[in-house]
This record gives sequence, C-alpha cells and structure tokens, in this order.
Amino acid sequence: MSSRLALTLRSQLPRSAATPLVSAARPLSTSAILRLATQPTQTGPTVPGYSTPPAAPIVPQAEQTVVDYSNGPSALDKASSLFFFTEILRGMTVVLEQFFRPPYTIMYPFEKGPASPRFRGEHALRRYASGEERCIACKLCEAICPAQAITIESETREDGARRTTRYDIDMTKCIYCGFCQEACPVDAIVETQNTEYTTETREELLYNKEKLLANGDRMEAEIAANLHADHVYR
Amino acid sequence: MILTPSIRRVVANVRQVGLRQAWRDLNYIGDMKAGRYCGQDEHGNRFFENPDETLWRHRWVDFASHDFNASQVTPEWHAWLTHIRHLPPPEDPIMQASKQPWQTPHFENLTGTRGAFKTYSTTKPKIAGWEPKVAARA
Repeated sequence: MSSRLALTLRSQLPRSAATPLVSAARPLSTSAILRLATQPTQTGPTVPGYSTPPAAPIVPQAEQTVVDYSNGPSALDKASSLFFFTEILRGMTVVLEQFFRPPYTIMYPFEKGPASPRFRGEHALRRYASGEERCIACKLCEAICPAQAITIESETREDGARRTTRYDIDMTKCIYCGFCQEACPVDAIVETQNTEYTTETREELLYNKEKLLANGDRMEAEIAANLHADHVYR
Repeated sequence: MILTPSIRRVVANVRQVGLRQAWRDLNYIGDMKAGRYCGQDEHGNRFFENPDETLWRHRWVDFASHDFNASQVTPEWHAWLTHIRHLPPPEDPIMQASKQPWQTPHFENLTGTRGAFKTYSTTKPKIAGWEPKVAARA
C-alpha cells in the first residue's frame, strides 16, 4: 500500500523533484584516467598455442547504459514496504501475546488505582483540634489563584478575630493546581483526595464556606493523615 | 501465588469464601476473590485485602448497599482503598490519632436527590432593592 501511495505521489510531483535518488548518467572527469589504468596487460606466462581471450571492449562511461529505476518502485519504496510489512507482523504478535495474558482491569469502584497523599481533588476548609476554623482571611489563596476561582470577604468577628464571611470556590473554574493550599499559611484550605463529587448541575459546584467547612469536618482524619505522611518532604 | 485468571484460583477462592459469598462477588465485583477481612466502615461496607492478587487489585470493597456508589466509602477507608495508607484505618495509629471529636458523619454524594448541595450567599447583600414609598396625599 505504501509503495502504491509513493508511486501515485511521485506521478503527481514534478519530475525533477521526484527523482533525486535515480542517478542520471553523468560523465566523470576521471573516466580517461580510469580507462588507462584498466588497460588489459599480459602479466602471466604465455602458453604456446593458447591464445589469451580477448579483453572485453571498454565502453566509455558516458555511453554505458544505466538501469532506469524511474518506471518501477524505488529502493526506498521497496525497503519501506518490506519493513512496514514486518512491522504489521510484529504488531500482531504483540496483540496475540496480550490475548494469552491475564486481563488487567481494575474493577472500579470496588478496587481503585493508587493515589498520592499529595493528590489534588475536592477542596476543604480545615479546623484546629479545638474546632476553631483555621482560615484567617489573609486572601493569599485568592491572590494566587490563577483561575480566579476563589472569592473571599472578611469581617471582624465579635471576639475581635478576623474571619471570612464569604469563602466561595467556583469548582467549575478551578484548575486543581494546588497553589491555594501551598499559599495558605495556616493549612486551612486543602485539596483532599476525594474525586467522587460529580454533580448533576453546575450550580452544585459553586461551593460556599459552609460546604467547604463541611467537607473538612467529614474528611479531617484523612487530610491530617495525608499531611503527616507528606510532612517530611515539606 | 496463583495467577489471576486460572480455574485453580477460582476453585480455591470459592472454597475459602463459600458459594454464597462467591455468587455475591460475581454479581458485584464480577470476580471471585478471597482475602483477609480488614474491617468495615460506618456504612457497613466491608473491606478485604489479598496481596497475592494482581497489582492494585489487591484491595477491594464489598458495598453494603445494592445501589453502590464509589462515594459511599468513608474518607478513612478511601485513603486505604486508594493505596495512600499502608494499614487499614482500625490498625493505623496515625489515622486513629488524626480523628477529631468534632468530625461529622460521612454521607455519600447526594447529587440528583433532594439532599444535593444548593449554593447560597453567606453574606448580607450589598445592594438593596428600591422600595418605593408613597407620600401621603395632601
């Protein structure tokens, strides 16, 4: 198939561009010297009554007939068809090998592939061990967010502490880069390992502060264990 | 170790778990597996482990609910099931120490039901609507 394609391609191309590999008969400047060097000379002993066969007539290189490959497939075509054919066979061998191998299918959701403690999934806002929320409304995550998915508004609480009144993450904007959890000075915003939060509508992905805190309240043990597993590399 | 798709393995697993559990596994996981029972979460999902199984297929969950869902696994067991934690949560000292008394119970993804999350503003609106006041006629 490839050689036919190459042939049709070549027939459409201009002649000069298509036949660079076929050598035209070119007179060499060294042809006269070569002819002199290859003059037949009698070097061995002469046998009486036995005539030496006449030497083949020397044809000047300019007049030598050159095999015209331009009509048939070129060497490149022949080589490519050969190698592509063996490639098909080799590919089919690999497929046949897989047929005799055990199937490798992880049966989700019963079995799951490996995840890292640094995996970046659904967001959560954490609390201190006392139950006090960690976020101090410094807005570093809002500033660093490349997708501008975070919106924060803050107020002074009754006890004088600065806390957020609004912490919205538009999960449809979020690109899960993890910059927010890296920017956070108090480890308040984290990306959990949860990926099973698909929703039916877009509206359900517009998370507010209550939703994020509820996520953290449910997943605190997993988040803390993951942070503990990763703390030596931080 | 017995290779995964062999009759020997299936027969050995069925003999270990019993016909009833093997039939159940066949209906849910689609495979007859046998392994160490590692525990169950608060929803009643049971977790098993067999390190002789194929890589990343050596931990699995038997869902309590017929209408099973990947989000029904609690976060602690999720960490174990996705091979983040080495030990199952009841045996994992770090996971036990990470638990907090104020944690709320886990629930599955409620999208598509009446319990689905519906967003709302957590602040007072900054724009007040115009309320016309009609002055009393003289």
